Amino acid sequence: MHEEITLGGFGGQGVLFIGRLLAEAAFREGHEVVCMPSYGAEKRGGTVWCDVTVSEEAIGALFITRPTAVVAMNPASLSKLEAAIKPGGQLVVNRSLVPDKVKRADICTIYVPANDMAAELGDDSVSNMVILGSLLAVCPVVAASSITAVMGELLAGKQERLALNEKALGAGYDWTKKNLASPESKSKEGAHVQ
Amino acid sequence: MTEKTLMAGNIAIAEGAILAGCQAYFGYPITPQNEILEHLSKRMPGDGRVFLQTESELAAINMVYGAAAAGCRAMTSTSSPGFSLEQEGISYMAGAELPAVIVNVMRGGPGLGNIGGAQGDYFQSTRGGGHGDYRLINLAPASVQEMMDFTMLAFELADKYRNPVVVLADGFLGQVMEPIVRRPPVTELPDKPWAITGARGRAKNVINSFEMNPADFPPRVRLLFQKYEAICQNEVRFESLELSDATLVIVAYGSVSRSAVTAVKMARREGIPVGLFRPTTVYPFPYKALTELARHADNFLVAELSFGQLIDDVRLAVGHDKRVALVNRYGGVPLHADEILAAIKEMISQPVGR
Repeated sequence: MHEEITLGGFGGQGVLFIGRLLAEAAFREGHEVVCMPSYGAEKRGGTVWCDVTVSEEAIGALFITRPTAVVAMNPASLSKLEAAIKPGGQLVVNRSLVPDKVKRADICTIYVPANDMAAELGDDSVSNMVILGSLLAVCPVVAASSITAVMGELLAGKQERLALNEKALGAGYDWTKKNLASPESKSKEGAHVQ
Repeated sequence: MTEKTLMAGNIAIAEGAILAGCQAYFGYPITPQNEILEHLSKRMPGDGRVFLQTESELAAINMVYGAAAAGCRAMTSTSSPGFSLEQEGISYMAGAELPAVIVNVMRGGPGLGNIGGAQGDYFQSTRGGGHGDYRLINLAPASVQEMMDFTMLAFELADKYRNPVVVLADGFLGQVMEPIVRRPPVTELPDKPWAITGARGRAKNVINSFEMNPADFPPRVRLLFQKYEAICQNEVRFESLELSDATLVIVAYGSVSRSAVTAVKMARREGIPVGLFRPTTVYPFPYKALTELARHADNFLVAELSFGQLIDDVRLAVGHDKRVALVNRYGGVPLHADEILAAIKEMISQPVGR
């Protein structure tokens, strides 16, 4: 396995947190991992990126230039990353905040209403967990159970938060599996699921 | 099997300091190395060690001077603008032959620059940096593991030579997370009979970098340079990757050398015989090994995060009859593997002769 996953979003959306979860889970599953966060000097609101490389071999470059999968939590990350994705790669777009449609047909795109789904669960701030669940459904780089195990440690003592995060992760995963399974999404290469 | 943990580079430096027996840390916050202070502020006080967040980098480096003079393993960490502020104190420590570790997690510059990673402090760090004739040992990590290992090594070399040692990292290495093996702690610290520990029952020790009579100072400088000569003999370190048949040698250190590793792989896949020469000490610089390489390789491609500083040392080593080219980014942005690959192809496609 060799996956190069770039996560992008506004500061405050929890992009670095899901990047760290992904990296920690992959590491515990025995893979080589590099997790490279980048952020601006702003405390909130600037765009944040997190490059997570997961491989069976020693990893060279810290940064990803041709991701195999991308999560776009905000419009800026979509416009920056769409062109870079490897043909056949996965793109998960946060439909709640990104109005734009993807132009490329040689990648598989899913539009997940992450903020809306999070709000339905009672807290808009778990949109990052919804979208991580969605990513795992199309790019099973680690088992969802590995993510919840790591989360259990990082959020030890915050039982409510942990339960909500797990719920959001599962919701994103199930929603995506269900929508991917629908016949129209399989009809052509470069499926667009909404 | 040895247990691994996923760790950020800055944390690995902090943990390395703890493992090396660092007894006193003084520092002033600056991104992209704040996690070092933050982590040590949690780890050191409860452990019988000194942690002090100072009012400035000037205070920090001079407190390091004091702690080192008292025989402590002492450290500060900063990033480029703070490193500039510390130069006076570092020069004083070099002059007074005090061992200390200074971590510089370089960021974009000059001036206030930005919080991205860069390598623009190379000249400053490898040529002394402050006033007067002196040199600092400079260790250049390129992974989170090396952030820990080289911090530990820095303490060892500082004590061995009674000289300040710089861990010359960059912002990208400070932020990146990778799995690392935690090293066993240093349990025995070296004796420091020269330290100022209270002179009751023994002759007094003097720590200074000053002589009233000007004629008394040149011998001290000479002694310093005899020490640096020994450092150049004993402490040159570098790493080679795929160099045996390489006609083009990439020379890179720090985070950008990681992009170079990927570029070597990409080039090899296309049948281009490329290798990587990575200095892990940039002072002492591995001139001899690079000169040796130049007997077999004709093309040297320097990849660095500055407008061209490492390249001067490469030219000194390989001479002017070899082709030396630069592929770089500067001002706080990374250099990617595909950009290095493009530079490799451009270099080998050019006809021989400059």
